[in-house]
Amino acid sequence: MSPHEFWDYLVPGVALGALYAVIAIGYTLVYGVLQLINFAHSEVFMLGGFGSLIVLTSLTPAHPSAPISVLLVLVGLVVSALCGGATAYGLEKVAYRPLRRRGAPKLVFLISAIGASFFLYNLAGKLFGRDPLPMPHLYDNNVVLTVFGARVTITQLLLLVCALLMMVGLDLLVNRTRLGAGIRALAQDPETASLMGVDTDRVISRTFVIGGLLGGVAGFLFGLNTQVSFTMGFNPGITAFAAAVLGGVGNIRGAMLGGLLLGLVESFNVPLFGEEWRYVAAFVVLVGVLMFRPAGILGVKIGRAA
Amino acid sequence: MLHRRLLRTAAPLIVGALALSACSKSDDDAGSDGGKKVYRIAYQGPLTGESSALGVHMENGVKLAIKQANARGDLPFTLSYAAGDDAGSADQSPAAAQKIIDDDKVIATIGPAFSAPTKAAGELYSQAGLVALTPSASSPALTTLGFTSFLRGIPNDDAQGGGMAAYLARKVKARKVFLVDDKTEYGVGLAGVAEADLKKAGVQVVHESVPQKTPDYTAVATAARNSGADGLIYAGFYADAAPFAKKLKEAGFDKPKIASDGTNDRKFIDLAGDASEGWLLTCPCVDATVEPGIKKFTEDYRAEFKVDPGTYSAEAFDVTNLVIEQLRTLGTDATREALLDKVRHADYKGLTKRFRFDDKGEFPDRTAFLYRVESGRIAYQGNILTLAAS
Repeated sequence: MSPHEFWDYLVPGVALGALYAVIAIGYTLVYGVLQLINFAHSEVFMLGGFGSLIVLTSLTPAHPSAPISVLLVLVGLVVSALCGGATAYGLEKVAYRPLRRRGAPKLVFLISAIGASFFLYNLAGKLFGRDPLPMPHLYDNNVVLTVFGARVTITQLLLLVCALLMMVGLDLLVNRTRLGAGIRALAQDPETASLMGVDTDRVISRTFVIGGLLGGVAGFLFGLNTQVSFTMGFNPGITAFAAAVLGGVGNIRGAMLGGLLLGLVESFNVPLFGEEWRYVAAFVVLVGVLMFRPAGILGVKIGRAA
Repeated sequence: MLHRRLLRTAAPLIVGALALSACSKSDDDAGSDGGKKVYRIAYQGPLTGESSALGVHMENGVKLAIKQANARGDLPFTLSYAAGDDAGSADQSPAAAQKIIDDDKVIATIGPAFSAPTKAAGELYSQAGLVALTPSASSPALTTLGFTSFLRGIPNDDAQGGGMAAYLARKVKARKVFLVDDKTEYGVGLAGVAEADLKKAGVQVVHESVPQKTPDYTAVATAARNSGADGLIYAGFYADAAPFAKKLKEAGFDKPKIASDGTNDRKFIDLAGDASEGWLLTCPCVDATVEPGIKKFTEDYRAEFKVDPGTYSAEAFDVTNLVIEQLRTLGTDATREALLDKVRHADYKGLTKRFRFDDKGEFPDRTAFLYRVESGRIAYQGNILTLAAS
C-alpha cells in the first residue's frame, strides 16, 4: 500500500471509528452500572436518526445558506440527542426497572432488551415506512481539506469533531462530577454504593439517558453520512457492541479505543482483503485481542467503569 | 380464584389475538357476483422491507389486470386478489408461499418477485402444482433447479449482465471495470455474467462484494477511484446503491457508472440526490410511460393508484393478463395443473413484449434496455445492445 493510499483509508476509518466509539459508550455505560448488555441500544441510535430526520425535513429550505446550515446541524444534534435520551429513559423505565424491582435473573433482562429492540424497530418501520429515507440536504458536502492527498469532507469532519467533543465531555462528566462519582461507585460495588447514600435508581436512569444522548447523536451523524432506515441500528449496533467488548466492557475509554480500532480495521480491510471481509476482519481482531486479554484492551477487572 | 387468574392471563392474549387478526388482510371476494365461481390470483413479492417500492409497483400491476378483467364482465368466473408478502427475503418466502398454496381458491401465483425468495419457495410451488410466473426474478440459476411450476416472464440476468458488459466494452471502451455486487443471489448472479462477458471482451475486472446495509461506503468508493477503473457496475438494490453513489461522488469517481434493475427506481434518485445524476440503469423492462403501445395502461394505472407505473408494473400487468387469458379457455372447471400446462405452452402478445417459455420455463428472448438519470428523472434510452454498437 502506498503512503498516499494509507491516508485515503485512514480518514474514513477514523470517522467511522469515532461513530462506533460513541455508540459503544452507550453499551459500556449501562454495562458498568448494571452488568447487563442493553441490546435495545441500537434502537436508541435508530430513533435518534429518525427524530432528527423528521424535524430537519420540515425545517430545511431548498438551498440553505452557510449560517442556516450551521444552525440546522445544531438543531439536528440537539433533536437527535433528545430523542435518543428519551428513548433510553423510556427503555429503562419499561423494560428494565420492573424486572430489577422483582430481582429477575440476568438472562431475563437480556430477553427483555431483545424484545424491546424488536418492538421498537418494527414500530419505526410501521410508522416511518420501510424504505430508507435521505437526510435533507443541509450543506454541500464538499471536500474541505486534504490530509497528505486524502480528501476530508465536511461530514467526516463533523463526525469526528462531534464524536471527540462528546467523548471528552463524557470523560469529564464521569470523572469530575457528583453524578459521575455515583456511576463509578455503582459500577464498583452497587450494595456499598447504596449504603453510602447513592440513589441507585436515579443513577441508573441517568446513566441510560447519557448513553441515549450519545447514541441518538450518533444516529443523526450516521444518517447524515448515509441514510436513515428502520433497520439502520442493527449492523452498527453489533459492531459497537463488539467495540465495547474489545476495549473492555464497562470501561469508557476502552469503548472509545475499541470503536476507533474497529473503524480502522474495517476501513483498511477494503484495500487489503476486500470489502466482503469487513465483519470477518473486525471479529478476527476482536477474537485475537480477547485471546490474550480476555477482559479487553483496557479492561482491568470486568465490570469496573472508567 | 382460579377463574380470575385464568381471566387475567387470557384477557391480554385474546385482545392480542384479536388485534393481530384485525391487522391481517380480510377476505374481500364477497362471492355475491351472481354466484359465479371465484378464482384467486396471488402475488408474492416484497410488500414490506427495504425493497417494498419495487414490490408494490408489481402488486399494482397485478391488481389492475384483475380489476379490469372483472370489469369487462365477459369471464365465466370472478377473479380476486391474494397478497403474499415475503419482504424480499428468502427466510420469509416459504411461509408466504405456503399461505398462498393453502388457499384453495388460488389458481395461479404471479411471482415470487425476487430471485432469493424464488429459490426458497420454488419447490413448494412445484409440489403444489401451482404456477409461479415471475414478472421480475432474473437470476439465471432459477430455471436450473428443477422447479416444475416456475415460469419466467422476463429475460434473465444474462441479458442485463451481458448488456452492461457490451456497453462498457464497446461504447465506453473501458479497459478496466470496477464491479460491485451486494452478495445477494441476484447481485452475485448478475455480476458473474457481467464479469465473464467483460473478460471475454478483454476488459480487466476488479470485483468487490459489498454486503447489503454496509454502514459506510467510503472505503469501497475510495478503492474504486484508486483502482484506476474507467467504468463501474453496481449489481444490487437502490437502498444500497444510493449511499454508494453518494460516496463515489465524494471520492471523486467520475467515470461511467451502470446499475441493474434492482436500482432502477425513483427511490434511487430520492436517496442519492445529485449523486445519482448520470448513472446508467439497465432493465429487461421497458419504460411504461414512454413506450407508445402502453399509453392506455399508464393512464389507467395513474387513475387507479394516483402514481406513475414503476419498474415492472407493466410486466406484472402483462403476465397477469396472460394467466387470465389461459384461465378463460379453461372456464369454470380449471385446476391448478391444467392451468399450469396451459400457461407453460402459451404464446401471448402483451403490452411489453411477446411471452413464451421454453421447456425449463425460461424466457427465450435476450433483450435489455438502458435508462439514464438525467436532471433528477430516469430517462429511457433504448435497447442496450443497439446503443452499445452505435
